[in-house]
Amino acid sequence: MIYLDNLATTQPDPRVLAAAEPFFREFFGNPHSAEHRMGQHAAEAVEAARAQIAALIGAEPREVVFTSGATEANNLAIKGAARFAGPTGPRRIITLATEHKCVLESVRDLAGEAFEPVILPVDRNGLADLQALEHALQTPTLLVSVMAANNETGVLQDIGTIARLARAAGALFHTDLAQAAGKIPVDVNTLGLHLASISAHKLYGPKGIGALYVRRRPRVRLKPLFSGGGQERGLRSGTIPAPLAVGFGEACRLARLNLQEDAARIDTLRLRLVARLQARIPDLLETAGNAPRLAGAVSLRFSGARALDLIAACAEKLCVSTGSACTSAEVAPSHVLTAMGLSADQAARTLRLGIGRFTSAADIDQAADFLANAYDRLARAESPRPATPFLAEV
Amino acid sequence: MPKMTFLERDGTARVVDAPLGLSVLEIAHKHGVDIEGACEGSLACSTCHVIVDAAWYGRLAKATEDEEDMLDLAFGLQATSRLGCQIVITPELDGLVVKLPAGTRNQMG
Repeated sequence: MIYLDNLATTQPDPRVLAAAEPFFREFFGNPHSAEHRMGQHAAEAVEAARAQIAALIGAEPREVVFTSGATEANNLAIKGAARFAGPTGPRRIITLATEHKCVLESVRDLAGEAFEPVILPVDRNGLADLQALEHALQTPTLLVSVMAANNETGVLQDIGTIARLARAAGALFHTDLAQAAGKIPVDVNTLGLHLASISAHKLYGPKGIGALYVRRRPRVRLKPLFSGGGQERGLRSGTIPAPLAVGFGEACRLARLNLQEDAARIDTLRLRLVARLQARIPDLLETAGNAPRLAGAVSLRFSGARALDLIAACAEKLCVSTGSACTSAEVAPSHVLTAMGLSADQAARTLRLGIGRFTSAADIDQAADFLANAYDRLARAESPRPATPFLAEV
Repeated sequence: MPKMTFLERDGTARVVDAPLGLSVLEIAHKHGVDIEGACEGSLACSTCHVIVDAAWYGRLAKATEDEEDMLDLAFGLQATSRLGCQIVITPELDGLVVKLPAGTRNQMG
């Protein structure tokens, strides 16, 4: 089985599993049990992991708050900032139409708490319209949330510029780094971020843990989502899952160590995959072909076959997907692709592939052949498309 | 003598003398206002947390990082929250208004 769905999740690095395992087995102490040796041992390991996560994004360890993943981190950042600001001050919260559902839904949910969600459009390449952003920021704004790398297309937003515009307007800036962290260099200070979300399982770490970066200078304050013991600077009550935290820390250490090397190798594999497919399928289109993108992300449109049929035809040998894993079970077309101007039919013919650290050149060649063979069969079977000019796609 | 006002949990406004050079925590203790101050002003707890009236907040000297760290842990933190032990009365603060939060959390355990 060839796994090319690394935007949905990545295989945990064996070194991550090796680092985490002792904390599942013998060192099972609660990291908040400060009174005894077992607790202290877990706490030390958790703090070492926190330092590794901070180092990956140029933050201080104290600015890293553990969460259950990027969904929780995004909820905490957006709802937490809004609820802390309370009923006075700016109402506006700006985000993009191509954000992950958890960001869009968090922003939309705040409409029920007297905030004003503003969802900005993107261009055909999936990039934020900076003029529209500047215009939206003319109304006093509490928070701007824009993801660094898109989870369906890999499109990279100009986060430094967007953060600068938000800050200049007096707004907080949050970015979802779930796909970007460990894949492209990120520095919270260079980019001028106030809040940033990370997920461990997108960077070869374990599922079930993530983190929110919360800036200390100037201090960014949030109202916690959970009531409880006040762990994590009072921002996130609940026992830190020490084995997952340790695995997450190791994943971040490895990502920092291998970042350039991984990105270069994965980029070569991406070019190889697209070239091999295009040799067999000349009218294959790359989504956001002109935008800066994450090395491992490939979004391809097959004019003669539906993505779900391609996936089904290769199901025994290949793992790929349509949109994001969270929404691909829905019948509705991808909100990311339609926001970029694709029709529902075009979106239904778009396949998402994600290349990762453990993908080999042989995997790429085989996957391309499986897909091209399936495409040949499906395209032949599909009824000829109307050729009359008024029905042709524009 | 400068004055200051404590808005207590039941909504009562208590106007008290606020001698120059004393902290809000010390003034509260002097007049039997219910603020704990478990660490006696050594920035080790957040039990003297007060919510400064918005009109007065901007006139206070900025909080230090140590105070901000303690405030992170305060219960019911708000945008104009400060620690009472870190606000020292100056002539400019004559008339200061602070509110007592609904509860406190002692970091000293």
